Amino acid sequence: MTRLCCRLRRGLVSATAAAALLTATACASTPADPDAVRIGLLVSLSGTYATVGQDMQAGFRLYLDSHGGQLGGRKIDLVVGDEGDGPATAVPAAQKLLERDRVLALTGLVGGATVDKVQVLTTARKIPLLGANARPAFTSEGGKPRDLTYTWHTSYNSDEPGIAIADHVKAQVGDGAVYAIGPDYQGGWDELRGFTDTFTRLGGKLANPDGKALFTPFPATENFLPYLNKAAATNPEAVYTFYAGAAAVAFVKQYAQSDLKDVPLYAAGFLTEGSVLTAQGPAATGIRNVLNYSPTLSNAANQAFIAAWSAAGNSNPPTTFAMASYDAAAVLDRALAAVAGNVTGPKLNEAIGKVGRVTSPRGDWQFEPTEHRPVQRWYLREVRADGPVLSNVLVQDLTTLPAT
Amino acid sequence: MDTYLIPGLDGIAYGLLLAIAAAGLTLAFGAGGVLNLAHGTLIAAGGYVAATTSTGTWPSLAAAVTAATALGAAGGGVLAAATARLRGRGHLDQALLTFGIALIGADLLTTVFGADIRRPRLPAALDTTLTIAGHPYPADRLAALTAAVIITTIGYAVLHRTRAGRLIRATVDDRHMVAGIGVDPRTVDTTVLIASGALAGLAGALCTPILGVGPATAPTTLLLSLVIVVCGGLGSVPGAMVAATGVGLIQTIGVITIPALAPYLLLGAMALLLLTRRRPLPGMSG
Repeated sequence: MTRLCCRLRRGLVSATAAAALLTATACASTPADPDAVRIGLLVSLSGTYATVGQDMQAGFRLYLDSHGGQLGGRKIDLVVGDEGDGPATAVPAAQKLLERDRVLALTGLVGGATVDKVQVLTTARKIPLLGANARPAFTSEGGKPRDLTYTWHTSYNSDEPGIAIADHVKAQVGDGAVYAIGPDYQGGWDELRGFTDTFTRLGGKLANPDGKALFTPFPATENFLPYLNKAAATNPEAVYTFYAGAAAVAFVKQYAQSDLKDVPLYAAGFLTEGSVLTAQGPAATGIRNVLNYSPTLSNAANQAFIAAWSAAGNSNPPTTFAMASYDAAAVLDRALAAVAGNVTGPKLNEAIGKVGRVTSPRGDWQFEPTEHRPVQRWYLREVRADGPVLSNVLVQDLTTLPAT
Repeated sequence: MDTYLIPGLDGIAYGLLLAIAAAGLTLAFGAGGVLNLAHGTLIAAGGYVAATTSTGTWPSLAAAVTAATALGAAGGGVLAAATARLRGRGHLDQALLTFGIALIGADLLTTVFGADIRRPRLPAALDTTLTIAGHPYPADRLAALTAAVIITTIGYAVLHRTRAGRLIRATVDDRHMVAGIGVDPRTVDTTVLIASGALAGLAGALCTPILGVGPATAPTTLLLSLVIVVCGGLGSVPGAMVAATGVGLIQTIGVITIPALAPYLLLGAMALLLLTRRRPLPGMSG
């Protein structure tokens, strides 16, 4: 109901009086608990990354629901906003969460470009931003490096998957060249740069004619075949890519239909993560990819997480998106427990800095003290049938990033 | 040269699918004078119905195409009834009304079908690749191309060889003369809007296996159709065909030849065409 409510609020459509009345009543019927701590969850509920956003919401709610709706012994009032396809929809939604709902922490955030813009808003209000997905290379503001005091991520830097797998790809292709292709936006640039920079530093060659990764218009491109056949003409030994959400489905299906179909495909794990894998079907089999999580990890925290995830009625294995958002709730749980008295942004932020080692389904991790993002293992996975469903099966550990 | 063979084929397939979508829009404008901004919504609705009806068997595929066409026709009927009352009040009122219908329609579609991009399941024979000149090519695209050629041929024959088609063309040219020979042009308007809706639904169904259908489908296809109608000349079906093929080729060959300009290529080409065009395209009525 909240989803319908938010969507209706967005457009001119709110003029459809009956529907608007219905949702308005539904919204008003849940009065806010005055003692509750209000947390904002900003994720894509529409657009290319809607499935990612829904996973992140499911992960956060899984933790919240399995802890009686409380974090750190305090009741949580969770307000959800729609990030859409990027800053154009995300910034107004974030402003609404910060100014009207006066949330004490903001979590979620699917896209790197969104994080880049919203981070400025939360920092200005001294509200911790606990991102659970993409983290961009923050550009400097007015000549000064970005103030990251109030910025935390339970996920990764967008360039880390590429950095983590480059060594493995180099070992596999030897002297062969690798074609790099990705979507033309902040997230795509970061993901591809991580790979191409590390790969060329290790002595690898790119098959792209100009020695730079090819970027396809985002989110406009749904027809990848022309790009793929053009890439095939360079005779690459392997292809490295990053796409996520709906674009990932189109890319993988069309890859299997193109001249490249017999060329090994390496990818940032988002290409085959979550519901997109079901939609890709057998076309995804054999894709080798890198991520900070695999549902087949054997640690105890992961087994408990998987059990709770299935018990909540999810038929597909959990994703890194759900896992990182679950961890965001876990971080808030421990931080809120450590705050004495009234919760304020600065007090909560200080407590987040002191949570220490976090036991997580991905294996234990902790915040890097200055950059505020996890120091964690990266894993090589391969898409294989795991029982009746396709899954990203763990192949081997790759490396720990950021390297210390 | 070989590099451009598959993108070229792809561009023509894409262009013909767009032509089917845009033919309805241009006819509705030419004959009925209705600038239908809900056209993209009808295409998306057709796509959603096709994506949810087709379950991987041939009968379900046939049912999907039929249901999408029927839904499009019904939508066209609703638009005809809605715009009939605005006759004589100019394009702006119609544009506003159909735009409102488009917004409500788009929201209903995402409420019913969700925000995910959907693709239909196709029979195994279509969910494979064929080899054309040594390159693999998806069978579903080839089938869509074939269907598009057949529909275009039938459409051309209907428009030029039947009484109904002649009446439509006559209404585009001079509706008072049509009234003079004892045919109510408003009946022609309604028929054209229904047929235009049916074409939109059909185009939606044919595009879905290739592009998928999602919240972006309606605005994207409306924009492309408008570009085609404007470039091809308002009300001109042959003009729309030429323009649609051009758009298809720009979207495939153009974007890989000049990748740096890919996002601007289509609208850039349109602007260039409009600025430099001295004479109407073939078949353009004025």
